[in-house]
Amino acid sequence: MVEKEQRFILWYDEIDGNDYPLVGKKNANLGEMIKAGIPVAPGFAITIHANDRFLIETNIKGELERQIPSLGEVTFESSKKASEIAMGLIENAEMPPQLEDEILANYHRLCEKTGSDVCPVAVRSSGAISMSGQMETYLNIRGDRDLIDYVKKCWASAYNVEAIMYRMNKGMSFLFNIGIGVPKMVNSRVSGIIFTINPVNGDPSKISIDASYGLGEAVVSGLVTPDTYLIDKVTLDIIKTVMGSKETQCVYREAGSDIIQKEVPEERRKMLCLSRDELKELARVGKLIENYYGKPYDIEFGIDADMPFPENIIVLQVRPESVWSKKETGPKMEKKKDPMERILGQLLTGVRLR
Amino acid sequence: MSKKFLDPHEVPTIPGTEGWERMYPYQYQFSQDDPKRAAYESSQIWFYDGLHYPEPHYPFDLLWDEFWSLSLSQYNTRHFMIPPALGIDHRIVNGYVYISPVGVPDPKEVEKRVPLFLERAGYYYQNWDRLYENWKKKMTVVIEQLQSISFTDLPEMEDISIIKDGVGKGSGYEMLKRYDDLLNLGLLCWQYHFEFLNLSYAAQVTFFNTADQIFPGIPISTLVKMSAGIEAILFRPDAELINLAKLAIDLGLEEVFKKPLKAKELMAELDKIPSGKEWLKQLEKSRYPWFYMSTGTGWYHTHISWNDNLDIPFESIRTNIRAIKEGKSLGRPTDEILKERDRIAEEYRKLIKNEQDREAFDQCLAIAKIVMPYAEDHCFYVEHWFHSLFWDKIRQIGKVLSNAEFLEDTEDIWYMKRDEIRQALWDYATAWATGVRPRGPSYWPKEIAWRKGVYEKFKAWTPPPALGVTPEVVTEPFTIVLWGVTTSTLQKWLAGPAEGEGAENEIQGSPGSSGVVEGRARVLKSVEELADLKEGEILVATTTSPSWAPAFVKIKGAVTDVGGPMCHAAIVCREYGLPTVVGTGKGTQLIKTGDLIRIDGDTGKVTILERAAG
Repeated sequence: MVEKEQRFILWYDEIDGNDYPLVGKKNANLGEMIKAGIPVAPGFAITIHANDRFLIETNIKGELERQIPSLGEVTFESSKKASEIAMGLIENAEMPPQLEDEILANYHRLCEKTGSDVCPVAVRSSGAISMSGQMETYLNIRGDRDLIDYVKKCWASAYNVEAIMYRMNKGMSFLFNIGIGVPKMVNSRVSGIIFTINPVNGDPSKISIDASYGLGEAVVSGLVTPDTYLIDKVTLDIIKTVMGSKETQCVYREAGSDIIQKEVPEERRKMLCLSRDELKELARVGKLIENYYGKPYDIEFGIDADMPFPENIIVLQVRPESVWSKKETGPKMEKKKDPMERILGQLLTGVRLR
Repeated sequence: MSKKFLDPHEVPTIPGTEGWERMYPYQYQFSQDDPKRAAYESSQIWFYDGLHYPEPHYPFDLLWDEFWSLSLSQYNTRHFMIPPALGIDHRIVNGYVYISPVGVPDPKEVEKRVPLFLERAGYYYQNWDRLYENWKKKMTVVIEQLQSISFTDLPEMEDISIIKDGVGKGSGYEMLKRYDDLLNLGLLCWQYHFEFLNLSYAAQVTFFNTADQIFPGIPISTLVKMSAGIEAILFRPDAELINLAKLAIDLGLEEVFKKPLKAKELMAELDKIPSGKEWLKQLEKSRYPWFYMSTGTGWYHTHISWNDNLDIPFESIRTNIRAIKEGKSLGRPTDEILKERDRIAEEYRKLIKNEQDREAFDQCLAIAKIVMPYAEDHCFYVEHWFHSLFWDKIRQIGKVLSNAEFLEDTEDIWYMKRDEIRQALWDYATAWATGVRPRGPSYWPKEIAWRKGVYEKFKAWTPPPALGVTPEVVTEPFTIVLWGVTTSTLQKWLAGPAEGEGAENEIQGSPGSSGVVEGRARVLKSVEELADLKEGEILVATTTSPSWAPAFVKIKGAVTDVGGPMCHAAIVCREYGLPTVVGTGKGTQLIKTGDLIRIDGDTGKVTILERAAG
């Protein structure tokens, strides 16, 4: 068995948060989430080592080390030139056979696992240093040829102008190897957002779920009025259900990462998009994530159409809740001498019980 | 607010019911003969008590309403000196009971009542467990006394022992006295009923509202889970049915129970074999008192108990036997419930980050836990056990009066006021003593036939939700808590459709269990009709009790006329995850079997989407 540091591929369930130097932060986080029991899309990471190996075997590394210094001082113009050279070399290079075999063998394993011949995947850049959003992610990639092409594209994206400028400004080296994540594309029948508090009033005893048909974009971008659910965080009972209009849904175009809008059939609009079991499972997952990180979170999820319940519930993205967590809230109840005074206060005001 | 409901004196009499007032006590009528009382009546808000009474009142059944009116009110007004609240006043209009909370208008007077309340209520809260133990003893005595009363036809001749023992009084006298004793026991039972209930609700609501302020929208079901008593008596009848099912299996009686026999035939069959005899022995033990469980709320004489119709519990026993055989676990494992209760309370507690809030939560939860057993258990003693026995005694009188030709049918007795029954018994006893024909047989059948007609007309009438003038603000706590009547409810009623006009396809109730569902309605007036229920239908019933258990595995949702979020139907439906609307008032009258309806368990709205064909 090859040592972990020398491997080209590491599956998400083989890594944890400490492995970010090997696979990049995004991948390492996914591994960490799996360890915590959080369901994420199945997939694997192409290691930073693999990127390095690619540049060496294709001689691109040497080529760049020779050509780049000749461009002189770092300016926008010179960066543009450097970017063109680097990206051109990477995208046009032949994938070394050993790397290609290994990537494809693992891709085939993923296809087998998820029960499809050509499993659609995402190809996500994952740097060991956070460089928010400067490198590319490609969605809905299918088949051997495309996968290899987009892996190269993704590596190449570490040399787009913004990324080069960013590194230069930070005094980092020109050469920059990144990890790549290859998760199954979640074929979301339904998707949405879980808040582990009530976003309306910050009440920490509730879990709020917004959900609608299709890909998450429809809910996130506010394109539709989703179904909304309020769940008791302690008992997991469903407290409130409000049916949304859900007129449209976002789906992927058959091939490629384009998202198109489709009308939701009339009769499906009038149905709640989540079942009771799905709601309870989502609430359980929300609670798990909150407990794991020790604070309220907001969580994007999808329910995969190709997989059975409960494996089909997949967490796509998590981030700490940012509004209520920052607010200092004072006591809601007055100080009272004893319970009798509280009962008296209740009788005198006659507050309504729902 | 300037808008007014219909003045209570102006509600039109339904044509053909003129003179209906004599079916009910005179003090229950809105009247203008006393200008002061009339002005008071016109200035109050009166709302229809649909919570307890989905149907118009039978003249006899009104006694419980009179009893609770006196008893609840006295504890507010004269015993515990609830600072802002006096009693709840009652009237009847076209057979429907309207009630009105009476507040303490003068703030100074409220202030004066505060220390009195703290002393008196405080004493009860501090000595709750001891006083409650004593309550159970008192109630047991009342029930024993009730049990000892019975009514039979007056004898042709007094027994010789009356002569030889020098008794010196006759059966006519005894019967009249027993009737008075019966009524007195009824009133006493309702006195006891409210000894703890007002205070119990006050503590519970304080806890509920405290928790609701800290955790806005916390479900009542969660609050109940956190504070529930563990040995809830109300669940005991169900537990008996489970034990009887287990015993039947242990004794190898399954095959006997599979036979499609009525309870009576089945019991005869069981009596033929030794193991069956053993089972019947246990049945007798379970029946008294646990089969006094009513199939309804116990408020109407039509709500019979399991003991009145053994087919009902027997059907449940059969269902239980099947379930046990399929490996399902039945009943409430006490230690699990206890663990779950403490887990929920502890998790909620941990979510409170603020010391001051946590103290409030702890204090209120602690007192809620003290009062909860009473709130849960008193119904079994009063509305189920006592009422079921009581109705039977009245039926015995019905038998006596129909034997004496006062009534055409035993069940006609419900059309007599309780004081009229006394009068009729007097008529019967005097004529018996004198050896002549009483007036009753020529008087009552005619009167009752007329009353039956009036009652049917009442049934077809839709009572307006409220009468009189809406106050600036509703503060009387029991009205708010029990009936959910607030200033905003009243505004909603004011804005609503004109009373009783047109086809109503929307009914407003209270949310019972979350979710929205559409389906065909099945209206069941009693548990005996349960066999008609089909898979996937929405159950529409006046109310449900544990005897309805077999229904909940079949249905998609439920609608009830009576009940709040803590009623049986709501609790069970939440367990099964079925959308439920409770307390609709007239759901069983407006919805017909076969109608396509949508129920929204979050808003409490029921919509009739399509009427059944024909």
